[in-house]
Amino acid sequence: MYEIISTILKYVFTIVIYIFIYTIIRLIYLDIKSMNRRAGLSDRKYPYLKLLNRRDELNFRVDESYVLNGNKTIGRLNKNNFVINDPFLSGSHAEFFSEDEIYYIRDLGSKNGSYINNVRIEPNTAVPLDNGDKIQIGQLTFIFVQDKR
Amino acid sequence: MKSYTRFVKPVYLVILINLMGFLLLYLYKEPYDNITIFAGLSIIALICLTYALILKLEMGDEYLFLIVSMLMSIGFIMLYRLDKNLALKQIIWLSIGIIMFFACYYAYLKINMWQKFLYFYPVVSYILFIITIVFGGGRRGANNWIAIGRISIQASEIIKVLYIFFLASYYTDPDKLNVCPITIKGLNIKINISRQLIFIALNYIFIGFLFLQRELGTAFLFFGVFIFFLFIFGSRISTLIINAIMACIGVVFSYFYFYHIRVRFQTWINPWSDISNKGYQITQSLFAIGSGGFFGTGLGLGRPDFVPEVHTDFIFSAICEEMGIFGGIAVIFLFFIFAYRGFKVSLMVNETFDRIVALGITLMFALQTFIILGGVIKLIPLTGITLPFISYGGSSLVSGFISLGILQAISKKA
Repeated sequence: MYEIISTILKYVFTIVIYIFIYTIIRLIYLDIKSMNRRAGLSDRKYPYLKLLNRRDELNFRVDESYVLNGNKTIGRLNKNNFVINDPFLSGSHAEFFSEDEIYYIRDLGSKNGSYINNVRIEPNTAVPLDNGDKIQIGQLTFIFVQDKR
Repeated sequence: MKSYTRFVKPVYLVILINLMGFLLLYLYKEPYDNITIFAGLSIIALICLTYALILKLEMGDEYLFLIVSMLMSIGFIMLYRLDKNLALKQIIWLSIGIIMFFACYYAYLKINMWQKFLYFYPVVSYILFIITIVFGGGRRGANNWIAIGRISIQASEIIKVLYIFFLASYYTDPDKLNVCPITIKGLNIKINISRQLIFIALNYIFIGFLFLQRELGTAFLFFGVFIFFLFIFGSRISTLIINAIMACIGVVFSYFYFYHIRVRFQTWINPWSDISNKGYQITQSLFAIGSGGFFGTGLGLGRPDFVPEVHTDFIFSAICEEMGIFGGIAVIFLFFIFAYRGFKVSLMVNETFDRIVALGITLMFALQTFIILGGVIKLIPLTGITLPFISYGGSSLVSGFISLGILQAISKKA
């Protein structure tokens, strides 16, 4: 009896293992495909924020650049588009949005404030950004880069 | 992510394999032993818990653990069939390993200055080596165990991780390795030793210690990783060639001067001449692989117990015998995609140190698999080393999970 079960199951085993390998490879393939799509967005069509801090001096994860393709919020909470775990940031710190090719920043009433070129901006007021503006939020300093054609 | 749900979730397949395997093992011998079911369920529970936590806490790459859990499941089913008590012990090691996996994951992410301890890694490793040589016990011709109470630990498994960190912190910033010119008093000669020479010397001390402990497999493994690193990061190709030539000379030298190495080569070239004695292990392994056929004899229907050390180094022969060549190829495939994932993590991450550590860990796993599988199928001379995540061995499993935790942490950063 055991021989029969074992003999049947050995085929099942092999098939299941290969289905597993197939699904993993498939998922990895989908993963790579979606990655290429994401990478395509970061061409220089959109302006972006470039980090000026040295990343190894910060004890939290932060990217080298953030692309502003659409409205983006920045802050500590997970609901933001750019989640940065800087203790000096507020939960929702600031918002970036664009109107007619002009990009604005709006401080969302953060505790420590946002600074453009070392000047603190009013909370909840849209401030237009120019290429090369220095944006300070929390411990982070970004530079706003917009290639105008 | 939504479109993935069309397909079977891979983790269900891992559960299915475990369920089928342990059910079969439950029926294997009368009287039926309920511990079998318990063991199977605890392995499934451990895998599911870890996988759920990885997904819940968004711990980066989820495929790494999935692939490892499949390898582990095959290993556990085979091990339980070979020796029930060893498998139960291994389950305890697995729980320790998973705890270490999470601990190392968080430790690696929280502590941001691993690359600063350049001197710390070799010093600790050498101390561990010396402790093993002085206090260590012998087992199977290798002198590489430290006994703490009833547990014995294989120090070289921990040193593997330290070695990768040492290589990574050196290649992140080679200038950190201080070079002090040696002055011989009276003679007024200043000898400047180049930084790279010191680095290579430190590497050879690692390999030398392993050689002294007769851990040839691990020595070979370290040397392989070292050569790969020279190839990838080394500035000059001549260093690589000189090292390769040196290694060849070393092998030829040790062939003539060390009996146990000569035996390895002789059994590799012609195991049939002394089949009842020196060549017994490798020939039995070949018989086992051969008798399996394409789909194997079926679990519990073969006789893998003829192969000495079948539960550790030779577990691949047992897999080939009872699950067939297709099962064996599947294991190799799984290691392939694991290595691919590891290299991908290494390519995606930004910081140099993380990059090199990920590369080192992946290389370590890949080469280790190659060395033992090559040995078992008589492709290269046999050197005793465990098959990662499959073979029996507490230190090996825990060290595997430590490396996996670090790799997972790096994939989170990527």
